[in-house]
Amino acid sequence: MSVRLENRRSALAKIVTTGMGLITAGLAGLVGLVAAPRAKGPDRRWRRAISIFDLPASAPMTVVLAERHADGWYETRKESVVFIDREGSGYRALSSTCAHLGCRVRWRDSTSQFVCPCHGGTYDREGNVVSGPPPRGLDRLAVRVNPDTSEIEVEL
Amino acid sequence: MRRPESWLLNWLDDRTGFRVIRRHLLDEPLPAGTGWWFTLGSVLLFSLGVQVVTGIALALYYAPTPDHAWDSVRYVMTEVRGGGFLRGLHHWGASVIVVAALAHLVRVVFFGSYKKPRELNWIVGLVLLHVILAFGLTGYLLPWDQRAYWATVVTINISKLSPLVGGFVAELLRGGPDIGALTLTRWYTVHVLVLPPVLAVLVLVHLYLMRRQGISGPAKKKPGPSEMFFPTQAARDLVMAVLVGALLAALAWKGAPALEPPADPTSSNYIPRPEWYFLGLFQLLKYFPGRLEVIGALVVPGLVMTFLALLPWIDRARSREWRVRRAVLGLFTAGLAAVATLTTLGAMDRPPAGDGVWSVRELAGVSLIETDTRCTRCHSPDGVAAPVEAGRIGRSMDWLRAHVADPEVIAPGIREAPTTNQNDTAAIQSALARMRSTTPPPVDAPTAHVLTLVNRSCLGCHVIDGSGGHDGPELSHAGSKLDAATIERRVINPLDVKPDAQMPAFAGKLSPEDIRAIASWLATRK
Repeated sequence: MSVRLENRRSALAKIVTTGMGLITAGLAGLVGLVAAPRAKGPDRRWRRAISIFDLPASAPMTVVLAERHADGWYETRKESVVFIDREGSGYRALSSTCAHLGCRVRWRDSTSQFVCPCHGGTYDREGNVVSGPPPRGLDRLAVRVNPDTSEIEVEL
Repeated sequence: MRRPESWLLNWLDDRTGFRVIRRHLLDEPLPAGTGWWFTLGSVLLFSLGVQVVTGIALALYYAPTPDHAWDSVRYVMTEVRGGGFLRGLHHWGASVIVVAALAHLVRVVFFGSYKKPRELNWIVGLVLLHVILAFGLTGYLLPWDQRAYWATVVTINISKLSPLVGGFVAELLRGGPDIGALTLTRWYTVHVLVLPPVLAVLVLVHLYLMRRQGISGPAKKKPGPSEMFFPTQAARDLVMAVLVGALLAALAWKGAPALEPPADPTSSNYIPRPEWYFLGLFQLLKYFPGRLEVIGALVVPGLVMTFLALLPWIDRARSREWRVRRAVLGLFTAGLAAVATLTTLGAMDRPPAGDGVWSVRELAGVSLIETDTRCTRCHSPDGVAAPVEAGRIGRSMDWLRAHVADPEVIAPGIREAPTTNQNDTAAIQSALARMRSTTPPPVDAPTAHVLTLVNRSCLGCHVIDGSGGHDGPELSHAGSKLDAATIERRVINPLDVKPDAQMPAFAGKLSPEDIRAIASWLATRK
């Protein structure tokens, strides 16, 4: 009798522990499912940046590309900053995001370099690292000229 | 006759047994010589309490969405009674907690309090330190200003460096493809719903273990009887709480740091800097270029934390006295000095934020915003829209540009759209961009009038102070070559002075007084 009772007690204990474990795992799984990010960004596409006639020769041109952007439930405009420059007979587009930790670099006329305000990385006009912590140069973006409009387009 | 309140207390005690609990909590025996050094934990507890209360008060007004977060914080600062003080308490409270936590940690190391049997409580304390830093990091984003945004960009990019899981962690922190609405709600949830219970549980475990093993007391045992926590040590705790509270109130009275312009991912003239207690890490990152950056971002801090966690097993001597622990204490002090040096270097590194002088175009824009009826018709104290004030512009630059170029876009059909002049529009846009973060310098009315004329009539073709068109020569230093009279003749009819001049004559377009005013002003530009 007491052995049977003991067996029943330990079986029940196992059931209760397993049950509570399953409930906890289920709840954790649900939270994990909801909290897991859906980070897929919009597909890359060509965007109009600037007319070739408006591009100065002396320095890279800073161009802000804006587009409608869904940020969760919040609809906003996403603005991307790119640097457009001449390169030989063609054109070059550089991302303005520092390759180190993602701050926004700027063009400095006095040194003819891109400078990152965060940790002091510098890049030359072609986007190659000159000094500081960046592990690689500024990202190059695909660029083309629309023959109908003479506008430079950037793939972003 | 028994007093009624003691009857009530007895009644309560019968049903709750609170007197036993109270006695257990207050009658904690402390080793002889337990003194002021042992109040630091209580200071932490007090400051955490202040954060909870002020945090709840702030949450009454805060809206965690990108379009309202900044405005809601500004509202707290400017409209809520005592709101600036409240946010000041919460802001400086975070710093006080970090200082108190570090002081507590240093005290524990120097007194050897982490030694057996208190190793586990030492580890719990280190975890608590990380929870506190996580509070600081997640709270930092909430105002959604430039400082908040860019500190978060760097934080999330650092998390990407973790081996194997870096990309996933970064996505988990961002919640979406970019830092935006989903990031803000995520960090807000962690700040107000996840971290507080974690902190509460860990603090309870920390206190329980402290009571179970007893206070360690002075490093060298002092003779004498042990003393109860209440009332002597409790009085010391109270004195410290009052002192820290007074310091906090004084800092908050001076105010929380001003809200910076709203987060702007395209901004390239903002110089991001982290909160002071992360400046050491910020500085460290500069010394590890290229592929080595993971060393500065994760390896060095990881090694430091591992060393701290293993201290009870590295420093195994039974004695807690300083003289037998010279090597460990020396190493620890060197580490502290390194952190202090890095933090100081990080604090000193402030690149110049561009020149502070407002350009002609910006000043002209300010003048138009303040006086031109196209703006003041709506943006006035009695108007349908709020007056435009520096530091209170919450809209994005994109919105502002559209609004200024075509006000009809904003309120279609409600009112007649004002005619816009391209140069006026450009001036107002550049002024608004600048007024998001700084207050314009005062300009007297006649000068303001001249500046708007110069902006409208000259900057279309000439550059002054870096802005303007390129069809004519730069006029930033016109006064160094020409006197006022010559300039005036040129403006009235350029062909009079120069037979091949391309510039149009302004006689008839501008009044003689306005032309004279422009010429006199240009002549002052040496």
